[in-house]
Amino acid sequence: MTAQRTAILEGKSLTKDFKGLRANNEVDFTLYEGEILGLIGPNGAGKTTLVNMIAGSTSITSGDVLFKGRSIKGLAPHRIGALGIARTYQIVKPFPHMTVLENIAVGAMFGKRDKRLGARKAREAAAEIVSFVGLEKHQDRSADQLNVASRKRLEIAKALAMSPEVILFDEVMAGLNPKEIDQAVALIQQIRSRGISIIVIEHVMKAIKAISDRLFVLQHGEKIAEGPPGEVLNDPEVIRAYLGKRYQQLTQ
Amino acid sequence: MRKSFIFSTLVIGAAVILPFFLGNFTLRNATDILIFAILASSWNIIGGYTGYASFGNIVFFGLGAYATAILMSNFGFGFFPSLLLSGLLGAAYGFVVGLPILRLKGHYFAIATLGLAEATKALVQNLGITEGNSGLYLPIPEFAIDASYRFFFYVSLGVLVILLLVTWLMLKSKLGYGLIAIREDEDAANSIGINTTLFKSAAFGLSGFFSGIAGAIYAYQQGFIKPEPVFTVASTVKMIVMAVFGGIGSLWGPTLGAVLIEVIDNFLSAHFLVIHTIFFGAIVILVILFAPKGIYDIFGGRKKVGLAYFLDNIRRNRV
Amino acid sequence: MLTQVIINGLLKGGLYALMAMGMSLIWGVMNIINIAHGAFIMLGAYLTYWLFVSLGLDPFVSLPLSMALIFLLGWLLQKYLINLVVQADIFITLLLTFGIELLINNLALLFWTADVRKVNVSYGAANFAVFGATIPAVRLAAFVLALVISAVLFYLMNRSRLGRAIRATSQELEAAKLSGVKVGNIYAVTFGIGTALAAAAGTLWSILFPISPTMGGILTLKSFVVTIIGGLGTMLGPLIGGLILGVVEALGTNLFGSTYENLISFSIFLLVLIFKPRGILGGRG
Repeated sequence: MTAQRTAILEGKSLTKDFKGLRANNEVDFTLYEGEILGLIGPNGAGKTTLVNMIAGSTSITSGDVLFKGRSIKGLAPHRIGALGIARTYQIVKPFPHMTVLENIAVGAMFGKRDKRLGARKAREAAAEIVSFVGLEKHQDRSADQLNVASRKRLEIAKALAMSPEVILFDEVMAGLNPKEIDQAVALIQQIRSRGISIIVIEHVMKAIKAISDRLFVLQHGEKIAEGPPGEVLNDPEVIRAYLGKRYQQLTQ
Repeated sequence: MRKSFIFSTLVIGAAVILPFFLGNFTLRNATDILIFAILASSWNIIGGYTGYASFGNIVFFGLGAYATAILMSNFGFGFFPSLLLSGLLGAAYGFVVGLPILRLKGHYFAIATLGLAEATKALVQNLGITEGNSGLYLPIPEFAIDASYRFFFYVSLGVLVILLLVTWLMLKSKLGYGLIAIREDEDAANSIGINTTLFKSAAFGLSGFFSGIAGAIYAYQQGFIKPEPVFTVASTVKMIVMAVFGGIGSLWGPTLGAVLIEVIDNFLSAHFLVIHTIFFGAIVILVILFAPKGIYDIFGGRKKVGLAYFLDNIRRNRV
Repeated sequence: MLTQVIINGLLKGGLYALMAMGMSLIWGVMNIINIAHGAFIMLGAYLTYWLFVSLGLDPFVSLPLSMALIFLLGWLLQKYLINLVVQADIFITLLLTFGIELLINNLALLFWTADVRKVNVSYGAANFAVFGATIPAVRLAAFVLALVISAVLFYLMNRSRLGRAIRATSQELEAAKLSGVKVGNIYAVTFGIGTALAAAAGTLWSILFPISPTMGGILTLKSFVVTIIGGLGTMLGPLIGGLILGVVEALGTNLFGSTYENLISFSIFLLVLIFKPRGILGGRG
């Protein structure tokens, strides 16, 4: 696991200012090919803002994001998707009146440029993915009829359908019960085994410990630690950031 | 799928033989219905499938009408070349103006399109080549009277059928999926890799193409056009009401709506000459209140449509 | 000469500002675009005309009465009709107000015919001479009244309990609901105020210009332009927007000819929407 590793996604000194509020301050990070990098931090630490900057949904005040060594700063979200970076939304965004299959097919039609499929082939590809995420039973139902856990799976499936090289998961486990969390963990590990590099934002400590190869921690918009989970979770600053109820979870 | 294919063929077939059973006056009314159906179905592309409710689509109709008038009267073009060029003008206008305007959302987009229609009308009223407010004449069609009525009917029918075919093909293609994705959730559509700016402009351009052609047909049929009737906002609203009444986001919905609304409007005109617009306004209000999802929703798949259905629409939408 | 043009522009601008204020209020608070806005201006104008012609009431005297009556009409419409579709898609409410406009305009055509009318007050010809320009007394009075009404509105929205409730509802709908505010009633009152303001503009318009049942259409559009230029969400927005539109129109028509008035207004409209949709004063986008 420690052989020659290439960085597939890098953040260099990323800063985001909203009017009068600095949401991210000079954050550096590296995502290596094939790894799962966990991104944790208290609420309001700037995790989603960081993902939004990478994905192009929000502008970068200063700093840079490199994908396979090339800057993607300032690119529109669809161009970033076309390059091979997919993201999920914390509050899921299905296409409500389309069926589950159609939702996923859209991912296969657009997404990574050289992997895009025509409408018909995309539906076939979607049929495979719908089984992979376990939604076959619902494949012809419209997305707005699904429950929370299924919607989260759909969100993952849409990202997967884009044939991405990198996926940014923003709290996919929020709102799931323990059994569903285990299923989500297994799913993400299977996705990694397909060669996709992953950043996972999560609050569910048990899950993030189980899947992350490395962790990095944000607090008040700044990175306070980055490294293997054992190291990071015993870092006194990290523990201080999570003082209180969470302290028990961290030291479990 | 098979059922709707048979249904469509039957409807089109019936329309094709219709002129042999109708007198000229009724045929003219039918042609007007077809033109409105083209406008409503074109609107449906940007308003229904893409979710950008344009309140200024009449601008393409007006541009098409004037383009045809100028090409035929001033430059001696034939009707069909003018028809095509009018469509292309509408498409180009829609695509190019769409690029900045489609960045606006919701209300802002709606009034921007209103402003676009008004600005374009004001421009036409001040240009020399359009003779300002005096209006333009077109060459008289060289047909016998009966043939002339049939000609316009069949041209309109042909354009409508082509429009519906193009729409149907679009819905099965990436463009269609992309547009609907934009309507459903534009952020997610962007993230998934859809170039929403391009797609939206394409939809607006497509909408403009067919609306422009409708304007061309109207102009040649009328023989004389002025800025006011071809750029009037009330007509945009009429085409939206037709699309809503018939069922937005369905293929035949707007056509169905056009037929129903025009038939109602003609009935009212015939019987209540003075106050028919008042009744029409009342009908618009009632449709909006009780059946905003349109007739299609009522007849397509619902088991029981009683009072509860209508009241439920209100319950869902009220403050 | 230039001074005359600018002064004419400012005077008309004040009237535009008053016209737009009602639309801006309704849009800003309820996110409803009232396509029938011009119809209420027209109603105010006709109410003034009939009060003048049948009871001999001077327009400036009957103004409060007109405003009160149209307030009532607006209040009823919102409470029992428009409130029913407030949560629906945006274009549904647009279509509804369009239907209302159709109704009002055509009822007016039916009852009052298409004849053009004018309120001819005895002092209509009086003039002032200021800075080498001629200012008709009625224009100045209308301008001053527009400012006065704006000030009253400003006071109402910022200092009164009602105003606070309205602003709270517009900014934080859920929070307002939770604190017991009857949103439906607030909306009804807001719409009533908006239409009353339109009626006031109509009253002033009737003294200065001829009126007809179809006068409202273009005035609704001009109100859009003013609202967009000034920016939604502030009381000052329509004022600034109105003055700017008035002056630009005056200068433009002086330069290019009066037939260019609409082209100028709508071109500015589109440019503002494309480059700075929040308008000069910004506010809610």
